[in-house]
Amino acid sequence: MQNPDLIKQMRERAEAVQAIVSIIGTIKEACQYAVAITKKQGGRTVVAAGLKTKEQDYLKNECESSGLRLLEFPLRLHANEIHTSLTIVDGGVAETGTLVLDSTSEDVRIATMLAETHVAVLPALKIKPDTTALENELNAVLKADVPSYTAFITGASRTADIERVLAIGVHGPQELHILIMEENKA
Amino acid sequence: MIKTAQDMKSYKKQLKEALADKFLRSALDNFNTAYRENRSTVYEGIDFEGLKNEIAAGKDAALPHFIEMFEEFKAKAEAAGAKVHTAKDAREANKIIAAIAKENRVKKIIKAKSMTAEETFLNDHLEKEGFTVTETDLGEWIIQLRGEGPSHMVMPAIHLSRYQVGDLFAEVTREKQESENIDKLVKVARKQLRPAYLEADMGISGANFAIAESGALGLVTNEGNMRLVTTLPRVHVALVGYDKLIPDLKSMLRIIKVLPRNATGQAITSYVTWIKGAVECASSPGSRKEMHIVFLDNGRLALAKDPVFSESLRCIRCGACANVCPIYSKVGGHKYGHVYIGAIGLILTLFYHGSENGRAIVRNCINCQACKEVCPVDIDLPHLIKKTHRVILHQEGKKPVKNFLLSTVMKNRKLFHFILRKAYLAQKPLAGKEPMIRHLPHFFGKEHGFRSVPVISKIPFRDQWQQIRPQVVGPKYTIALFVGCAIDFIYPEQARALLKLLKGRGVQVEFPMDQRCCGLPLLAAAEEETAKDVALQNLKAMHSESYDYILTLCASCGSHLKHNYLKMFKSDPDAPENLKQFTDKIIDFSSFMANVLDISAKEINAAPQKVAYHSPCHLCRGLQVTEEPRKLIEIAGHEYVPSKDEDVCCGFGGSYSVDFPEISAEILKKKLDNVQDTNARLLVTDCPGCVIQLRGGMDQRGNKIQVKHIAEVLAEALK
Repeated sequence: MQNPDLIKQMRERAEAVQAIVSIIGTIKEACQYAVAITKKQGGRTVVAAGLKTKEQDYLKNECESSGLRLLEFPLRLHANEIHTSLTIVDGGVAETGTLVLDSTSEDVRIATMLAETHVAVLPALKIKPDTTALENELNAVLKADVPSYTAFITGASRTADIERVLAIGVHGPQELHILIMEENKA
Repeated sequence: MIKTAQDMKSYKKQLKEALADKFLRSALDNFNTAYRENRSTVYEGIDFEGLKNEIAAGKDAALPHFIEMFEEFKAKAEAAGAKVHTAKDAREANKIIAAIAKENRVKKIIKAKSMTAEETFLNDHLEKEGFTVTETDLGEWIIQLRGEGPSHMVMPAIHLSRYQVGDLFAEVTREKQESENIDKLVKVARKQLRPAYLEADMGISGANFAIAESGALGLVTNEGNMRLVTTLPRVHVALVGYDKLIPDLKSMLRIIKVLPRNATGQAITSYVTWIKGAVECASSPGSRKEMHIVFLDNGRLALAKDPVFSESLRCIRCGACANVCPIYSKVGGHKYGHVYIGAIGLILTLFYHGSENGRAIVRNCINCQACKEVCPVDIDLPHLIKKTHRVILHQEGKKPVKNFLLSTVMKNRKLFHFILRKAYLAQKPLAGKEPMIRHLPHFFGKEHGFRSVPVISKIPFRDQWQQIRPQVVGPKYTIALFVGCAIDFIYPEQARALLKLLKGRGVQVEFPMDQRCCGLPLLAAAEEETAKDVALQNLKAMHSESYDYILTLCASCGSHLKHNYLKMFKSDPDAPENLKQFTDKIIDFSSFMANVLDISAKEINAAPQKVAYHSPCHLCRGLQVTEEPRKLIEIAGHEYVPSKDEDVCCGFGGSYSVDFPEISAEILKKKLDNVQDTNARLLVTDCPGCVIQLRGGMDQRGNKIQVKHIAEVLAEALK
């Protein structure tokens, strides 16, 4: 069961660190959102990680009919041209508004590090209250004898290195959009 | 290049230059105030004390097991394809990293921020070997372009204004920059550095954690550059101190609850990343990252075994000890550390960069305890700074004349008191009939003229005692007064105010005649042996078994007697038997009046005035007394008006204000400005040392605000 209190807290805490949060019901809506935001920002490309083939095809159509390009993997070839990246994240931490994303795949890393705008779909069922609730799951990944790259992402990249003035969007994405996907919203 | 002063003369010259930098001063002063104000919000709903104790205990439990944890880490990391190296010192670490670069035919290197790489001066080495190294953290990039070291462990370029950064970026881009707009400056870095990530063959990072049970590195960052540095190039080298080893994920999750909060006031940073083994990397020949982890010893393994200094390895590099330090906020990080900055830097410099770099900076601690209070891993920083000073004095075998004199005089109470009595005669011509000396003789130098100096009392309290000693029949409490040098010889009226207040309250006061200086000035000069000698004589003189309390009117004496006496004799087999009994009975004036005697407003009523309060460091942090004095001000019938930074040091620090008069004067200036802003008529505190500083400063300003010890204020208000 999805917990409305956790969704509310997740939303508040993420917004407190300048993430832009919406509630959606389906991946289709997420695709439409990614296309719309790219157009709005004058971007020309979209990349997606973690979509099923049908969803990927849908996104490709949406992109094409809006005059955008859906970039293909491997992303190294497109490193300089990623505008929006759409990902499905593996978890959320309500306490801090944090997203959890297995970034072991290099393409996921490049997509979420080099994009101007990161649009993350967070299934509501995967929101945990705090990091303690995530510990076992995370530890299972870390302890396995295989390479891994795991990320907590909280808001867009930021710095206060000049005169301690907060500036959003340094080397990582300049905007983080979180789409909380609720079960019965569809 | 880093130019840390190696002697006091050049250090003082550097400090003077730093104090003249107006931008630095206002930026850091504002930071100091803002940081402390935000802290309570940041820690809302978080049990800071509880977490701090747990983390410190966890770190301490891990210290003796660095090698086992390293072995465990290595096995797990190598099972996932990483290569793990060890380096006994900075030179070896740099050589290993340069060799990895050569083997992999690397030309261009990009770096994420790493204090450990700063420690080994890695960039200098790699550049000498012919590699191009680009820092990518915004602050690090800025200081790299300027050829400077970091001035803060978290915000390396905090000493620079946006205009300085704008001018620098204009040079780099050969385009005019809108310096006013920090957002735009940040975007310049984003645009300029993007190609560097893509062109680099090797990325170098540090790590905040090396988790033994999984062989994963944990990294806590905000800008996103570290993620790019560890993703795009085909080789990744992480340089990690042994002190970053922790047993498990649980330990890391606990620490990240406090690290970002303490460092930058964030509940969590934008990114927390776990990297394990050789991850996928399309630009590498085998499609796997060439992943190396270099563990740096550089003295850490020996330090871990040191009974005194091992706790310094608990440090998680949050930088908070600089943020709250009144001295850092005046002189900046380049003058308050070598590579590591702030209170922890004054300690670690000796161990990582030698006594030549530590010997001047280590003296620049006023012992206000602000760093200790804010430290998230409970390192007793002021205590360790004094210990470090002592080690340097011993290592170098050259003691300053001041130390020799201090030690000789203080061992002998009669000699010390004889000198103080003679001082009365010597200063008489200077003061005339005034209570203060406003113009010091020229040989003192004009930097000492920021405050008027009180005159030594004609008759010290100890000589007045026989005549004023009260006799109480059937007393409720019998207490001993530990008067301290400042009240005994400068302000006996403060002790007389106490006697007036105790009259008719069933308290028999005694003044054990053989008591002497508490010994704090000795500890401040790193003369620990003499400090212990003096402590033993006080323990004998005070006869703690005969009293319910040992009362002090001096916060510094009080906290020294209560806490440092225990610390000095910790694990000393010759510790006197009555030590614990003695320290347990120490009580400060305000706590005694408010809590033991429960003095009430009915008995006292002053003509109400607006009263500001200065919270003495050794009362609010040393003895943890905060409510009582404020309550007493109201009991006295006055209106207590809070002032900004009330619990920030006044700049006295005993001999500190004589050793570093210009810094002391600047700290005092801010304090007095804040008090003046309240429109108070009277400034009250409960430490005679603070009275010396505050009253002397107000007098030099020609300001009418009176400065008094709280005992005087209460006594004057008696009905």
